[in-house]
Amino acid sequence: MKLTLHIWRQKNAQSKGHFEKFQMNDVSEDMSFLEMLDLLNERLISEGKDAIAFDHDCREGICGACSLTINGTPHGPEAATTTCQLHMRKFKDGDTLYIEPFRSRAFPVIKDLIVDRSAFDRIMAAGGFVSVRTGQPQDANAIPISKEKADLAMDAAACIGCGACVASCPNGAAMLFVSAKISQFAMLPQGQPERKRRALNMVNQMDKEGFGACTNHYECEAVCPKKISVRFIAQMNRDYLKARILKEKD
Amino acid sequence: MALFDYLKSTLLSKVVMAVTGVILVLFLIGHCVGNMQVYIGQEVFNRYAHFLQGLGELLWIIRIVLFVCLVLHIITSIRLKWLNFQAKGQKYEVKNYVKAKLTGRTMIWTGVLVVAFLVYHLLHFTIGVIDADNFSKRNMEYYKGEVVIAEDKVLNGESNEIGKLERQAETIKVEGKELSKENDVVLFFRPDAYSMVVKSFRQPLYAISYIILVIFVGFHLSHAIQSAFQTLGLNHPKYNCFFRAVGPWLSTILVICYISIPITIWFGLVGGGV
Repeated sequence: MKLTLHIWRQKNAQSKGHFEKFQMNDVSEDMSFLEMLDLLNERLISEGKDAIAFDHDCREGICGACSLTINGTPHGPEAATTTCQLHMRKFKDGDTLYIEPFRSRAFPVIKDLIVDRSAFDRIMAAGGFVSVRTGQPQDANAIPISKEKADLAMDAAACIGCGACVASCPNGAAMLFVSAKISQFAMLPQGQPERKRRALNMVNQMDKEGFGACTNHYECEAVCPKKISVRFIAQMNRDYLKARILKEKD
Repeated sequence: MALFDYLKSTLLSKVVMAVTGVILVLFLIGHCVGNMQVYIGQEVFNRYAHFLQGLGELLWIIRIVLFVCLVLHIITSIRLKWLNFQAKGQKYEVKNYVKAKLTGRTMIWTGVLVVAFLVYHLLHFTIGVIDADNFSKRNMEYYKGEVVIAEDKVLNGESNEIGKLERQAETIKVEGKELSKENDVVLFFRPDAYSMVVKSFRQPLYAISYIILVIFVGFHLSHAIQSAFQTLGLNHPKYNCFFRAVGPWLSTILVICYISIPITIWFGLVGGGV
């Protein structure tokens, strides 16, 4: 299949970026989107040109490394799919594609399509963990957890931290990510001791990183490759308010 | 200022938006129910308008609460809009929204229109600067139309008679009885809000402008109400059908009720006697 690609090129965070047009005439519909870019990069390298920089790692849809906003939608047009798992058969012969980095001020461009998502790491460091003392491992069944709670915690824990929620949000808000990371612990007994503190610290760090405020468009939920629900944002709001207004302590 | 410390937190700012928004929506519901009395008739509508005016201190408490809510809502929305604009950074060359509706993405602009409408509406029906000829003042000298006259007994609640005002030069007659400033009689005026509304909305300019602006209020509410539920943490799969639907439904019902008044008056279906 033939494609016309408009790809964002940017030398580094300081330079001003621009779109570069590429014509692809030999794309197989069985390729993944990243393989299609690999093909283009091989061509560019053989021509002695600078390859297009883009993030990728597992290429199995579980690591959260790949990004790309394809024709205005983070991770492309197929729902619940990461860019690495998106196949070219989802596009039509002759399509024109605009490929841009995940855009948000908190995700500055490093090069071309690679953005710095370390803001997420700092949010995690602010409270996205449970403090577990060393010692004898506990019996797995010693803490009863209902199936419903376990399922819900797992739904939240499915977040791969790719940042598509931020990239899609008209406000550049990171609330879906932060709420998933708060809720995966809030549902479980192990998460209770630091629950309020976690919500408070992670939300405060999110604000410090310069992410926007959610205005409940639910665009994040729609583009999330792991289908994280916005109900976790409501959960986060409740925990944060209890901690902030009612001054509830853990 | 400690009062505005909440603005430093995106989440607290959102909560302030939601709480003040809910109070303003509750007012809009109450205002709508009150307005619907225009269909019962002049007497009922005027009695209602007079009842509101007669609330005295309570009316001012309600006005102050609503004003504070409005100011907080506006300040917070500007702060959040600026923050979100900063957070978004560079725009996409191509943007394809999957779920975000136009009503949600234009909240700040419909909000500006709502404020403009509010100012227009207050200048029109509360202060009387716009369409001043039809404004029913409580001041006797400028008073036009109906008047409730009473002596002390009415004020004491013993009688509730309505008389027709007749003015001839300096003398005022009520039900044929001549009154004058020297007379030791309490005059108790009731503005003819009904005639004021009818005469205003018979003019297409006012009717059309109200219809259009109320529809924008509806757009604003359509997103706002479900948004408030979510911000306040009300999201549960069992009840989400209600939380998500109540915004569009309630705003549609409010818009229909509100715009029905200028439409029915404009087309002569209501207010024929005025």
